[in-house]
Amino acid sequence: MTGILLFFVGVLTLAGVYAIFAMILNLEAGWAGMWDLGLVGSVAVGSYTYSILTQTKFDDVTFAPELPIWMGMIGAALAAGIFALIIGLPSLRVRGEYFLITTLAFAEVVHQIAVNAKPLTRGTVGFSELARPFETVVGGTANRIVLLATVWVGVGLMYLLMRRLAHSPYGRLLRGFRDNDPVARSLGKATNRHRIQTYVLVGALYGLTAPMYLWYLRSATPSLFKADITFVTWTALVIGGIASKKGPVLGAVVLLVLTESVSLVQGSADLAVLLASSRFVVLGLLLILVMRFRPNGLVEERAAFAGASGRGGG
Amino acid sequence: MQNLIFGLISGSILAIAAVGFSMIRQTEGFINIAHGQMLTVGAFVGFLLVSDAGMNVFVAGLVAMLVVGVLGVVLARVVFDPVAGKGALAQLFTSIGLAYVLYGLVRVIFGAKVQFFPNLFGRRFDFASFNITVGELVIIGLAGVSTAALHLFLTRTRTGTWIRATASNPELARLRGIPVERVSRAVWFVASALAGMAGVMLGVIGNVNSELGWTQILMVLAAAVLGGLGSIYGVLAAGLLLGLVMDLSALVIPSTWRLVVAFVALVAVLVFRPQGLFVRAGRKEAA
Repeated sequence: MTGILLFFVGVLTLAGVYAIFAMILNLEAGWAGMWDLGLVGSVAVGSYTYSILTQTKFDDVTFAPELPIWMGMIGAALAAGIFALIIGLPSLRVRGEYFLITTLAFAEVVHQIAVNAKPLTRGTVGFSELARPFETVVGGTANRIVLLATVWVGVGLMYLLMRRLAHSPYGRLLRGFRDNDPVARSLGKATNRHRIQTYVLVGALYGLTAPMYLWYLRSATPSLFKADITFVTWTALVIGGIASKKGPVLGAVVLLVLTESVSLVQGSADLAVLLASSRFVVLGLLLILVMRFRPNGLVEERAAFAGASGRGGG
Repeated sequence: MQNLIFGLISGSILAIAAVGFSMIRQTEGFINIAHGQMLTVGAFVGFLLVSDAGMNVFVAGLVAMLVVGVLGVVLARVVFDPVAGKGALAQLFTSIGLAYVLYGLVRVIFGAKVQFFPNLFGRRFDFASFNITVGELVIIGLAGVSTAALHLFLTRTRTGTWIRATASNPELARLRGIPVERVSRAVWFVASALAGMAGVMLGVIGNVNSELGWTQILMVLAAAVLGGLGSIYGVLAAGLLLGLVMDLSALVIPSTWRLVVAFVALVAVLVFRPQGLFVRAGRKEAA
C-alpha cells in the first residue's frame, strides 16, 4: 500500500473519532446548551480506565485485570459516567461562563491526576502498544483499514442515535430549556434533573468512545489529553454548525483533512517542527474565519430541523 | 516563610495578568482565551531584547509592554471588532482561534525550546528562615506600583472613568456620549500591556517557553472567577490569594499538585459563593 493512501486512512480514522466526539458535544452544548470546555476530562477518564482494564504489557500497575476490549469499553463508559456525575453536581449549579471555567478546571485536574497518580496511570510514561480490535484476524498495515471501518461504523451508529434523540420528546425538551429555562420549568419540566442526566449520559458516551482514540494512537499518556482535544472538537462542531445534525461530522472531516494535510509536505526535521506548529495556525485561522463569515457553521440548526419537527423553523 | 515569598511573587504576577483579562471581560463582554498568549508574546519579546539585543531588563520589559499593548489594539481592531455583536459564542471561539494562531506563530518563530533569561536576580539577602533577591523584590514592588497606577488611572483620569462607566453599563455609557470605541482601544492597550509585563516577569523568575500562555490562562480564569468576574479589585486580590494558596500548599502536599489545589479551591468557591469572594451582594459596580 502506498504511503499517501495510508496517510489518508489515518487522517480519516482520526476525523471519524473527532466526528463522534463532536456529535456528543453537539448533544451536550448544541441541544442541551451546556458549554463544556472540559470534555477532554471525560475522554481521559474513559481512556485511562480502558487502558488500565485491558492492558497486558505492563506489570508495574497496581490493578491490571487484563479484560477483553469490549469489557474495557463498558468499564470506560461507567467510569466516565460516574466522573460526569461527580463533577456535574457542583458544575451545573453555575451557568454560562462559570460553567465553562469550572469544566475547564476539572479537565486540568484530571490531567494532573494522570501525571501524579503513578501506581495506576504510570505517570508521564503512560501506556503504550495498546492492542487494536481484530488485530489477531487482520494483522499488519491492513488492520488500519479495519480500524478505519470500525471507527466509521461507530460514526454511523452515533449519528443514528443522535438523529433519534434530536426528534424525540427528550431532544425537543433539551432545546426547549436551552432557549428558555423558565418557560420549560413553568410547564412542569425538571430542567435541572434533565441537565444532570444529560451530562452523565454525555460523559458515559465520551468514555465509551474514547477507546477509539486510543486504538488510533496506540498509547495513553497525560500529554495526549490536553485542552487541544476539547478545542479541536469544539472547532469541528462550530465549523460544521452547532445544533445541526450532520454538521459535527462534516466539520470534523473538513477540519482534520485541512490541519493534518500540513504534514504531507515532506522535508527536513526542522521543517517538520515548523509544520507541526503551523497546524495550530491553520486551526486558529479556520476558527476565526468561520466565526467571522459563517458564525452558524456550514449546516445551520434552522435548516437541519426545518419541517421535520412539525413546527417550521424549530 | 520561603513559600510565602514565592506565593507573594507568583500571586503578584497572576494578579497583573488577571486584572487585564477581567477588564476585557467587562468592557468587551467576553472571555478572552487569547489573553494567555499575550503573556507568551511578552515573555519572548522581553527575552529577545535582553539576550540578543543586550538590552537592560527594565527597558526590555517596558518595550515588551508597549509592543504587546499595541499588538492587543491591532488584534482587537482586526480580529475582534468584526465579530462584535455576533454573540458570545462567536467572540469566545474567535479568541480561542486567535490563541491558537499566536501559539502556532510563537512556535514557528521561536521554536519549542525552553529558554532562560540570563541571571538578573542581583544580590541575595539572607534572613534566618528565608532569602530574597533584589529581582524578586523588584517584581513584588512593580506589581504594587502598577496596581496603584492602574487604580489612579481608573479613578483619576477621564479615560479611566469612561472605562469604569462602560464596564458597568455599556448601553448607558454609549447613550451618555462616552466614546465607546476609544474606551475599547484604551482597555485593549492597558490590558495587553499588563499581560506583556506579567509575561516578562514570569520569564525572569522561571523560564520562557511556548506553553506558558496555556498554563497561565487557566490560572487567570481561576483568579477571575474567584474574584468575581464583575470586580477588578476582587480579581487583583484573588490573583494574589491564589498564588499564596498554591505555594503555601506545597508545605503540606507535593508541589506537583499545586494546580489541582488551585482548581479545587476554585470549585469550592463556585459551589458555596458563586458570585465570587470579593463581590458584595447587590452591588454591580465595575471597579
